Amino acid sequence: MKILYSWLKEFIDTKLSPAEVANALTTAGVEVSSCRFLGEGLSQVVVAKILAQAQHPNADKLSLCRVTDGSREYAIVCGAKNMKAGDVVALAKVGAKLPNGAEIKKAKIRGEASEGMLCSEQELCLSEESAGIMILPPGTAVGAPLAEAIGLADWLLEVEITPNRGDCLSVLGVARELAAITGEAVALPAADVVEDGPGIDTLVSIDVTDRELCPRYSARAIVGVTIAPSPDWMQRRLSLCGVRPINNIVDITNYLLLEVGQPMHAFDLDRLSGPRIDVRPSGVPREFRTLDGAARKVLPEMLLIWDAQGPVAVAGIMGGENTEVLPTTRRVLFESAHFAPSSIRTTSRKLSLASESSYRFERGVDPAGTLYAANRAVSLLARFASFSAAAGVVDVGGGTDFSRTIPFRTARATQIVGREYTDAECAGIFARLGFSVSAAGQGVLSVGVPPRRFDVEREIDLVEEVARLVGYDSIPTTYPSSAAPDFSDDDRFAQVVEKAAACLLAHGFSQSVNLSFVSGKEWARHAVLLGFDPGDAIRLANPISDDTTMMRPHLLSGLLHNVAANVRRFIDEVRLFEAGKAFGRSFEAGHYEEERLGFVMYGHRLPEHWDGGNVPLDFHDAKGVAEAVLSCAGEGTFHFVPASSRPFLADGKAAEILKDGEIIGWVGAVRRELLAALEIPAAVFYGEFRLRAAARGSADAARYRPLPKYPPVSRDFSCIFPSDVPVGDVLAMVREISPEIEGASVFDVYTGEKIGAGQKSVAFRVRIQPSDRTLTDAEVHSIHTKIVKLLENRFGGKIRAS
Amino acid sequence: MARLAVEGKSAIEAAGTESELLELKGRYFGKKGAVSEILKEIVSLPVEERKTIGAAANEARQALQAAFDARLEALRDRERLAREGLERVDVTLPGRAPRIGHRHPVSQTMSEIISDFQRLGFSVRGGPEVEKDYYNFEALNFPPDHPARDMQDTFHVDWPGANLVLRTHTSPIQIRTMEAARPPVRVIAPGAVYRCDSDITHSPMFHQVEGFAVDRNVTMADLKGLLTSFCRMTFGPDRPLRFRPSFFPFTEPSAEVDIRCANCAGAGCRVCKESGWLEILGCGMIDPAVFGFVGYDPEEYTGFAFGMGVERIAMLRYGINDIRLFYENDIRFLSQF
Repeated sequence: MKILYSWLKEFIDTKLSPAEVANALTTAGVEVSSCRFLGEGLSQVVVAKILAQAQHPNADKLSLCRVTDGSREYAIVCGAKNMKAGDVVALAKVGAKLPNGAEIKKAKIRGEASEGMLCSEQELCLSEESAGIMILPPGTAVGAPLAEAIGLADWLLEVEITPNRGDCLSVLGVARELAAITGEAVALPAADVVEDGPGIDTLVSIDVTDRELCPRYSARAIVGVTIAPSPDWMQRRLSLCGVRPINNIVDITNYLLLEVGQPMHAFDLDRLSGPRIDVRPSGVPREFRTLDGAARKVLPEMLLIWDAQGPVAVAGIMGGENTEVLPTTRRVLFESAHFAPSSIRTTSRKLSLASESSYRFERGVDPAGTLYAANRAVSLLARFASFSAAAGVVDVGGGTDFSRTIPFRTARATQIVGREYTDAECAGIFARLGFSVSAAGQGVLSVGVPPRRFDVEREIDLVEEVARLVGYDSIPTTYPSSAAPDFSDDDRFAQVVEKAAACLLAHGFSQSVNLSFVSGKEWARHAVLLGFDPGDAIRLANPISDDTTMMRPHLLSGLLHNVAANVRRFIDEVRLFEAGKAFGRSFEAGHYEEERLGFVMYGHRLPEHWDGGNVPLDFHDAKGVAEAVLSCAGEGTFHFVPASSRPFLADGKAAEILKDGEIIGWVGAVRRELLAALEIPAAVFYGEFRLRAAARGSADAARYRPLPKYPPVSRDFSCIFPSDVPVGDVLAMVREISPEIEGASVFDVYTGEKIGAGQKSVAFRVRIQPSDRTLTDAEVHSIHTKIVKLLENRFGGKIRAS
Repeated sequence: MARLAVEGKSAIEAAGTESELLELKGRYFGKKGAVSEILKEIVSLPVEERKTIGAAANEARQALQAAFDARLEALRDRERLAREGLERVDVTLPGRAPRIGHRHPVSQTMSEIISDFQRLGFSVRGGPEVEKDYYNFEALNFPPDHPARDMQDTFHVDWPGANLVLRTHTSPIQIRTMEAARPPVRVIAPGAVYRCDSDITHSPMFHQVEGFAVDRNVTMADLKGLLTSFCRMTFGPDRPLRFRPSFFPFTEPSAEVDIRCANCAGAGCRVCKESGWLEILGCGMIDPAVFGFVGYDPEEYTGFAFGMGVERIAMLRYGINDIRLFYENDIRFLSQF
């Protein structure tokens, strides 16, 4: 919200400078995000008068002006056409540096000297656009600095009002806040109305059927007015505060909205049927044309203003086209009401129609201030328009006391804030806020809160007023007394993620963070390939773009897009990992989301090196990474089996990772079709873990086993198998033959002509490590024999050498 | 014999290679070598002569042997040096480096914030990102149809009847934690959050770290002390900060914490929008209405809560001016951290 310092000064004669006001308000919680001197850049711009205007001899579109600032004459070349001799204009002299950054220099334009520039409002940053140069009112003092002449020797404060402080959405509201901070007094400007017209009861009858949604409805009427532009000073203030001036009647309602925060509406009294007014909900669905020309679909519960025939306004939001003020309007009814905030907000949202008025009603407009606003409007209008004000006012609900009384314990403030407050200190703060205070027992105050403060309903709200106005700077700095911290599953899981990340970082993977949204279109297009069930997707009702319409069912697509983006930037080695959630629906549990860890690799096994000898990545590079991560961050034993249900991984080059029979991850080569869709030119390997499941289990530290004291024995076996024998199974079973077998590894695999089709040769090394003795030859031989039997009988192997 | 010693010594010292030297060794010490010949002749001499000449001959022999040993060692030394000279590596060639990955700056920052608060006695809690309206808003004292809901542009889940949103902040974890445990609680809750907003300083998904503590006698002064310590850890001990009143529906009194703008040292610049301060977190005392939702007695217990945007802190720390860089995951960007 924009507030003019000069306007503020009409309500509070503060001793603070604009910058000090900004700082004081910010410190008390009404944040002033900027405080700008409006005359900035106008120091070399003066009021001048055009003495003569002639066509530029060498350019059709330019004219030559002779202007005076009262002390000397200037020759100016000007591109605008909207001026004539005698006009008073804004002259930027040579040396001026305008608010838009332009510097004025002495120039020759098409052969004619120009000693300055006649400015448009746009060039002076006074409006967004302008049709020609700025023409000032004829009486403006020639030679005066422009800033003074048009009221720009002023400051504009940009104030950020939090949603709880509807009472601050006006000059008056900010003045009251400033008064609470400084202890200075707020003075309301006069609002005396000379009632020289007919009685208001003879002009209109007003009822409010729904007093709950409209607790107060004040109105004044005027007759015999002529619609005309408002005076310049009012138009200027409205424009500077972001409201477009329209005519004297509309402008006065907008002026009051900005000044006292009371949204008002002006009806053309002659267009009101009856003439009468009622306030009640629509009752039935209907269409209603608001004064912006749009047809609105009004629902039964929406509150409307009615005349004798039908609706004339959507209460508190926007008036109707049928009764708006026209250039021919002579008689006007000013509405100044209070509507229930939640009703206005619901209606505004459902109609997708927000206005300055609805913005304020949603946040709470002072129900005690309606009549003052109506009086102030008519009183102020009388200064520049002639009319007769109707005698009397309508004020439905005018006798109601809307204020609240709240008991306040000073000790409660001390308990919450941790600073000692005294009764007197708190009472002083309440008094400056305009709250009434009386003692209500030992350490208890009874505080009467005016109805404009919608945010002060409870004792805690009063605690906040005390804390912020005494000042947060006065709160001491202490430390929470210690309670034994607990260590949760989530603490442990955070460590699991850190361990997995450390492992991947050490293997050359950088960390990626992707948005959790994916493109529903893209996933639908590749639904089969991605293994995606569209019915399982969590979709957004209001996505921000086409690329972000649903929550990702797994992490692949984000990482794959990362590879593609890096490849497009000529990066040919990409290793990335991401820790994040995957989402889906599950009808029993509502929805599921699960912590996942995904990694992706593209490029070569080794970093580029002068040694050469590099090869492209293959499945076993990715599997090795998966094994490393599980060894760092997992708990338990993991088995890799050929994948059966990961269509995004290439057939025959994909494994699922099992732990106790549960799939806790998958790894493999990404399907070529998915790579092609992203124009990724070479193989990509991908792994993903269900990280909590992988890490679930004993949190016990590893148990120490005594180191072997006796020499180990190694035996090598070379064996030919049918090519579909899973070597991992062979190794697992070999290890189980004897507890003395410490490990079994593969050191060579060969397929080719020498072996014959459908077969492979595998060489193992088995390491036998007794814990309590040196093995005898007979014992070693016995183990050896068992292994050979296993290889031959169980796996159909043919021993080549051992 | 003496002549032989002198002559032999100069020959030995002139030997250029080990094999030359070995040949000389044969010539002097071999079975038919000069020394052996002389020693044989000595046997035939008379006893008196034998004594004196024998002593002299022995001396010469020892001198020759010493010269031989010294020369052999020198030759071998030279040879070793020569050999190692051929194998000397170019230490300026690039090393055969293992690949090293880089931590994402957002994750790095979040991880540091978490561990700072863990050191201050806070325990980690997570919560769902697809969240019930109740936890995201209602139980945090955002009434339905209250303008406070406009403070956070919300993504709604398209699932009729489910009333799910993408959480707009990590604060729902306050409710979930307090529902499940009695005070004292002292929790740090990191995670991704979502708001319908996108420009160079706003991303529809970003990360927050929430913290809260509830116990008897927890005060706003404690909150001020804790966050002062945190800001010193994160932004350095000499960075001024201020607590400024603000509004959040679930805390009262509420505050925002600003740190002095490092770019202009408070003079006002583009980075801090001329204010000299940078807002880094929101905080306050947990509103008694929130305690009402979780069944804590607000007269007995008090608590504070705070929340901060991780991206914002990372942008300030690393001087990053466009939030979208975080989610492009360009290796050239990630490698800088």
